[in-house]
Order: sequence, then structure tokens, then C-alpha cells
Amino acid sequence: MPTEGINSPVTPTPPSGSFSGGEAARGTGETVVAVRNLTRKFGHFTAVDRLNFTIQRGEIIGFLGPNGAGKTTTIKMLTGLLRPSSGEVTILGFDLRREIRQIKKHIGYMSQKFSLYPLLTARENVEFFAGISGLPPARIKQVKQELATLIPPALLRLQVADLPPGIRQKVALFTCLLTDPEIIFLDEPTSGVDPELRRNFWSLIYGLKTRGKTLLVSTHNLDEAEYADRLLIIHQGKIILEGPPEELLQRTGASNMEELFKQAIISHETP
Amino acid sequence: MKRLKAVIIKEFKHILRDPRSLAVVFIMPLVQIFIFGHVLSFDLKKIETIIIDYDETSLSRELSQRLAASQYYELYFSPEENAAARKDPDRAEQLLRSGKIKQFIIIPAGFARSLNHSPPATLGVTIDGSDSNIANRIYQYNERILREFSLEKSHLPNPIQVNIKMFFNPEISSPYFIIPGLVAVLMVMISALLTSLSIAREKEAGSIHLLFISPLSPAEIILGKTIPYLLVALLDGTIIFLFARFWFGVPFRGSLTILFLFSLIYLICGLSLGILISTVAATQKVAMMVALLATLLPSLFLSGFIFPLESLSPILRSFSYIVPATYFLRIIRGVTLKGAVLSHFLFEGSVLLAMSLFLLSVASLKFQSMRRSGQ
Amino acid sequence: MRLFYLFKKEILEVFRQKEMVAVLFIAPLLQTILLGYVVRTDIQNIPVEIVNLSSSPDAFRLVNRITHSPLFQVTGLHRRPLDYQEIFKKGQAKAVIVFRDEEMTTAPGRLKGASGLAGGKEGPASGNGESGAATLRPASLLPRPSVQILMDGADANSAMIATGYFYGVIKRYLEDLLADQGQQLPLQPQTLIRFNPSLNSIHYMGPGIVALLLTITTMFLTAIALVREKEQQTLDTLLISRLTPVEIFLGKTLPMALIGLVEMTLGIVVVLLLFRIHLRGSLGLLFIAALVFLFSILSVGFLISLISQTQQQALFFSWFTMVLFLMLSGLLTPVENIPSVFQWLVEINPLRYLVKIIREIFLKGNGLAYFWKDLVVMGVVGFVSFFLSLLNFRRSVVR
Repeated sequence: MPTEGINSPVTPTPPSGSFSGGEAARGTGETVVAVRNLTRKFGHFTAVDRLNFTIQRGEIIGFLGPNGAGKTTTIKMLTGLLRPSSGEVTILGFDLRREIRQIKKHIGYMSQKFSLYPLLTARENVEFFAGISGLPPARIKQVKQELATLIPPALLRLQVADLPPGIRQKVALFTCLLTDPEIIFLDEPTSGVDPELRRNFWSLIYGLKTRGKTLLVSTHNLDEAEYADRLLIIHQGKIILEGPPEELLQRTGASNMEELFKQAIISHETP
Repeated sequence: MKRLKAVIIKEFKHILRDPRSLAVVFIMPLVQIFIFGHVLSFDLKKIETIIIDYDETSLSRELSQRLAASQYYELYFSPEENAAARKDPDRAEQLLRSGKIKQFIIIPAGFARSLNHSPPATLGVTIDGSDSNIANRIYQYNERILREFSLEKSHLPNPIQVNIKMFFNPEISSPYFIIPGLVAVLMVMISALLTSLSIAREKEAGSIHLLFISPLSPAEIILGKTIPYLLVALLDGTIIFLFARFWFGVPFRGSLTILFLFSLIYLICGLSLGILISTVAATQKVAMMVALLATLLPSLFLSGFIFPLESLSPILRSFSYIVPATYFLRIIRGVTLKGAVLSHFLFEGSVLLAMSLFLLSVASLKFQSMRRSGQ
Repeated sequence: MRLFYLFKKEILEVFRQKEMVAVLFIAPLLQTILLGYVVRTDIQNIPVEIVNLSSSPDAFRLVNRITHSPLFQVTGLHRRPLDYQEIFKKGQAKAVIVFRDEEMTTAPGRLKGASGLAGGKEGPASGNGESGAATLRPASLLPRPSVQILMDGADANSAMIATGYFYGVIKRYLEDLLADQGQQLPLQPQTLIRFNPSLNSIHYMGPGIVALLLTITTMFLTAIALVREKEQQTLDTLLISRLTPVEIFLGKTLPMALIGLVEMTLGIVVVLLLFRIHLRGSLGLLFIAALVFLFSILSVGFLISLISQTQQQALFFSWFTMVLFLMLSGLLTPVENIPSVFQWLVEINPLRYLVKIIREIFLKGNGLAYFWKDLVVMGVVGFVSFFLSLLNFRRSVVR
């Protein structure tokens, strides 16, 4: 039920001492995404270089890196939008190359531009996405009603181009959840949104986690890193650091995320 | 002046940094002139005809031969096929209907006897009239040949002798008058296209606001955006013209200086049109569509390029006076084919110049009002 | 069912853009009406200059006829020679008609035809002719005019038409002359003009313009359809959905086909009512032909959309393709004379077939038997572009 996640007023867990759930909150131990030597080249330029990682069910992965680090390229490959140059990806046990149709049934994707149709209203967008996802008409009717509870009625008739960014973001997430996907890829979902809205958005993400969803959220915003269960820090196409945020802080002795990040980059560039 | 120079330089950099678009601007007209120059033709060399001869006398055969030997006809079927059509008159009708032949001529039995002993003899001609223009020409060719034949056989006096002399283009070669026209169309299209994007691009990028708050006057901005493209357009025009001259062998009988001078004015006119479009259009997409449609269609249809101006209705005829290509078409045909000189085109030249000034001022005014409302 | 939502979305998007609606429905109508009036190839008022150096009454009468004909507009009537080149350079006339007196020759020779094929074999007829000539022209010492038509070859089209008209004037004059003598030319062709007896050019152009209408907007719209999604970043969402490439193709092209059909209907109504052209053939066949055509032209548009990166590129490519199709369609100039190097372009041009079919249905009332092959070719062009699109689909959107 998409709205549950979005509407439930879960306050974003503050970074400090919030991970009381411990290991259980971090995942069930079932691997849902396995990536081996994932590489993508554009001509001579290697955008993504032999990535290796796994994601457990129920985890929130923070995919962190500066602009141009290869975050979007990676997510596009994981969602089948871009063909890997080499490497293997298994999602929910399906092979990405051969069984993309199966994978599509279980994943959600939201790009940094929120990818809604600017000329259509929020309701029309939702109807469209529900329609092409193959939801039965009765269900489509239902989700349209759910949408009405989600955003102020006055805004329902506006074309998306005229909606405020926060609402647009909400609608985009709503459409992304229409098919009730198990794994959700969010590519810089908070770019261009003010800090207040950003916090709200993370509360929605936590709401999803409580419902057993697995999320991979990319960001170049270091403040957000601490919200994740586990971080994948990517730089120049390579994963340079991996682990839960607090553990990484402890391990490196950095006092905050910014310092951690800087150290990681420096140590990566001067081997 | 210094500020103007700055705008010009910036605009130049823009042009040079986008080599792909530049290539399109140079290659597209060449491709078009190459294809259309070969393809557009009003010549009607083949008029597929069937002659069904029911008379089969020496006289009827002479008439058939006369028709077949004319420079206008191409007999569609061999004599055997004509004979086949003779047995089955429906055949000719079917062929006419399917468009495989343009006309069929039936020489009735007793034709020779009738012609010699009890004139007038008749002849059945059936023409496909669906293309009125072609049908008209076929009709006239027929009349001419048959009249000559008729006069010959009757020994009636021919009170008038007619001969035709074609000036400038004795072989009535279609390319000779099509190619200069194409040059005119392509030049205005390219020049308008070039500038149409310039201001719309700044609008889309938002950089227009930087222009708004700069101390540049609207006229400076408009000129600064026009002048660099003038050089590109001139280069483009030269290439197109050289292609026309040497690939298609269009004769050049006038002065190169005069052609250059008028081309310059004409290009300025096209660029001004483009810049006006650019100030009015909200996006590059719209600007481009408007530039292409506003130059191509009128230049094709209303300038006298494809359809003679005489064929236009009075209202449309008056539209033709605001199409720049109308004037340049006269100039370029005049200079290339007829060797006309400056004094022949004072009127056309001044009109083009006046148009450019008008377009540029409207563009400046529009820009001025944009700046006011934009702030 | 999924297709329905894609379809609905496309239609909504088109109608949300006001300028698009204008472009779609108002522009084409204006175009039909305007083109319908422009493209009258029935030329009148051709500017001619007359120089009459002859003293014969024939010349005077002919000058008189030309001056009174609506086909010509006499811009000047002179009695002495001119600098003809100069007239053409100034562009003040398309042709100069010069009447001169021919050198006096002996009467019998003068009475023969211009190009002398001696009529020795039909003895009686020649005698008949001699006597006719004698009665026709008793004062055989009257000067006989020769006419020279000088034409501006730079506008050969108008010039040739002017000559044609001039021959017509002479012919009628000759017939009247003979009729005064109670005679007529011994050969009287009976010309029957089929399908468009009034030789009205709008009957030919009108239906052709309907074909053009179907092309312009639908092709442009389809060409930008996918690219717009690319620019809007919504394409990814479409691709990640369970829509198959074929579904996306159909979802993008069917709405345009529908719009095209509505436009064509409007065009037909204009053609039927405003231009008063009768539809001789079947309306149903017309729509079938339009559907086949739409399939091929929209496939081409979709292919363009796939290979373009920006909407501007797409517009440019489709514009280029469209001009090519238009020039090679036979709508404006005959395509039969196109050199064989380019003939293949004509052969694969769907617009050319549609123009041909529409004209046949409208003017000739032809049935399927006459143009089923054209339909097949259009369909093949459509299928080829369709498969090219599918082949390219993955490669160009999933890189």
C-alpha cells in the first residue's frame, strides 16, 4: 500500500543513537541484490569500474559520491536502463541480462528529475503509471483516491509543471510505489529540495523500510549519509569505502561524515 | 562599438563551438540543391500515348507516324500493342484509368476517305484530364500537330507563319530556371534558420537576463547577433552558388559583383527575419519550426519559383510582394541567365533593403519591450 | 489495456499544449485553403509585349484578339523594333510577340503550308485546296504576316504556357477565317477530356493537398514523441515499466494516426464543400489507403524519433524528410521525368503513392484493382521502418 509509507508521520530518525534496531533493522540476511565486477565503459572512459557489493533484504543503502562518480550509471544498469559492459548482476535471484522482465515486476525506480509528465496533472500521471504497470481498473481507481488524501485537493487539478517541488517529489515516489515493488532505487531523490523537505522525505523512506522494502538511495549530500543503514561510497567509478556509517566513523576515526569522505578520497587517490 | 564587438565575438564562439550544427548548415543545402536540382522539372518529355488505327490506310499511318515522331510524344506501346488495343478498346480505357497512359487517339475507319473526299474527317482523342496542367499541354501539342497536318493535306493557305525564339535558355532546360530559384529558396531558409535560434537559445538557457541587465542597447544586441551569422550565411551562399554554377552548369552572364551585392542584401533580409522570429518565439523548437515554415513555403509557392506569379489570385498575389524570395528570384535569374545589370534591379534591391531595416527595427522594439517586462 | 493508458496520455499531452492544437488543426486547414488557391496552375494575364511591324490586316486582327484575351496582359504595343533582351532583363514581360511582313513570294507557294510536305498523292483534294485559297484570299498581293514569339527562357514555365495560349489564339483565328468562307479544316479532332473535363487545377491539387495534410503534422508529432520523453527524463520510466517496444510504438503512433484521420476528414470536407470537387470513388477505400499510409509515415517518424537526441534534431530530420517526400510526390511537379538515379527515392516515397491513390479515388473513381500494388508498397515501406525501429529500439534507448 503505497500511501501507508508516505503518509505515516514517521519522524526521521536522528543520526545519533537512532539505530537501536541493531542488526535486525539492517536486514534479514537474505541477499536480494548481488553485483559482481559490474563495469561500464563509454568509449575509453570507464564510468563504473568493477563494482562488487550485495544488498540484504530490508536494508537502506546510501549510495554516496560526488557528481560524476558513477552513481546514476550504476543505478541505470541495475534497473536495466543501461547495458553493462561486463560483470554480473543478480536481483532477487534473477539474472539481469536474461531475466530483466521478471526483475521489472519487483523493482521501483525514481530518477533525480522525478520523471513525471509535466503537462499532465498528478492524478493523470498516477493513472497513467498505474495503467501501464498493468494494475486492474478497480485498483487504479483506488490509488487515485489514495493520491487525493496525499496532496491538497487544490493541487490535484494542477499540471505537474506547476506543482511545488516537494509535492512533485511526493507524487513521483507515490508513482514509483504503485506496483508495490520489493526493491526501490532512488536516484538523488532529494536533489533540488530544501533541507526541511529532505528530512520529510527520509521519514517516508523509513516508513518503507518498516514495511520490509529494500532501498538503494543515491545522494551526493553528505548530511544524508547518516540516515542509511549501510554506505557505499563511490568515487571515479570505484567503491572506495563500504559499511554502516557509525562503524565507518569509528574505523577511520573521522569526527563527521565530511571528514570521512575527504579521507576516503585522499587515500583512494594516493595509494 | 566596443560592446557590439564583444557580442559579435561571443556569438562567433558559439557558432564555432557547435561544429555539428555548423556542418548541418553547410551540408543540408548542398544535399537539397543536389537532389532537387536533379529532380524538380517541369519538362514533359514523355506523353504516353496509344494510337488505335481502325483505318489502316497510308494516310492514317502517316498521321500516326507524324504524332509519334513529334518531339513531344513518346508512344507508350509498340505497334503490336497498339494493334492489341485495337481489338480490345477497353484496354486503352483501363490504361488511361490506371495512369499508365496520358491519352489515346482513335483513328476511325474511313478516315482517309473522309479526309480526301468528304471533309472534315474526325479523330477521337481522349486525354486524362486529372492533372489539368498536363492535360492542357497535351491538348495544345495535339492541336498544333493536327493543325499542321490538316493544313498540309488540304492545301488551304496558312495565313500566318509562326516561329519561336527562346532567349537566354534556348534548350528550354528546366534546371536553368529551377536552380537559380533553388539557390534563392535555400539562401533565405538557411539565413533565417541561423539566427532564429540565437535569441531563443538565450531565452531557454536563461542567459537572456544577463543581456537584459547589460548596458547593451537592443539594437546592439540584435546587430551583434546578426553580423556573425552574415559571414556564415555568405560562405554558405557562395558554396551553394558555386555548386549551382559548376555542377549544374547554370550559365552566368552577368557581373559577379552585382550578384554578390544583392545576395548580401538578401541574406541580411533572411537573417533579420530569423532574428525577429527568435525574439518572438519562446523556445528554440518553436523558433526553428517557424523559421523553416515561414521561409520554405512562401518561397516555394508565392515567389514565382514553382508557380508563375500570374497564376496567383489577386489576394495571394499581394502576399507575394512581402516574400523576399520574390525579389531575389528576379535578381538571380536576371543576373545569371540574362546578364542583367544593376540598373535593372534598383527597385528589387531597395525593397529588400527596406524589408531588412523594417524587420531589424521590429526585432529591436520587441526586444526592448521584452527587457521591460522581463525585469 | 496498458496500451489504452499510453494512448490516453499521449492525447492528453497533445491537447495540453495550446500552440500544438493550433498547429494541428488550424494551420493545416489554413494551409489547404491557401494552397488550394495558390496552386491554380490555370495561368491568366501573362504579361506580353507586342511589336507589330506588319501592315497586314491579319496581323492587326490577331493583335486585337490577343489584347482582348484574358490570358494575356499586353504591357506594351509598339510599331517599331525594340531591344527585346532589355525587356526581359527588366522583367516587364514574359514574351514579346513580333509581327513582320514576310518576304513576298509567288502566290501559289505562299498558299502552301509552312513546312512543305507536298500533297501530290491526293490530287482532288489539292485542287479543292487551291480553289479554297483563292476564295479565301482574293487580293493575293496583300502582305502575309509572320509571327515571331520571343520568350524569356529564364522563366521557361510561363513562357511555354504563353506560347501554348498563343497557338490557341492563332488556331481560332484561322478557323474563324475559314468559317467566314464557309469552310473548315479537313481534320477535326474530337477531344474528350476525362475525369476533369473543366481542366480545373484545383480538382487535381485539392485531393493532393489532403494527402500532404496527413503527412505534415502527424510525422512531426511522432518524430518528437520519444525525444520529448528523453528530454523530460520520463523515457526511463516508460522503459522500466512492463511496456514492450511494440506497445510503446503503438502507444505513440496510434494517437497520431487518429489525429491524422480527423485532420484528413476535415481536409476532405473542405475539398468537397469549398472547392466543390466530387468524390467519384469510395470513401471507405480512401480511409483504408490513409491508414496504410499513416502506418508507413508514422513508422518513419518513429524511426526519426529513435535516432534523434533532441527535439530540435527530430524536428529537423523530419522536416528534411518531409520536404524530400513532398518534392518527390508528384504533387507539384511530374515525377515521371525524374532521372533514374533518383527514381528509387520516388519508388519508396509513401506520399507519392498516397497522392496518386487519392487522386485516382477522387477524380477517376478507381477501385482497389487499380492501386492495390501501391498500397502494398506503402505497407512494405512501413514494415521496413517499423522493424528498423524495433531493431534500433534497444540499441538507441538502452545504450
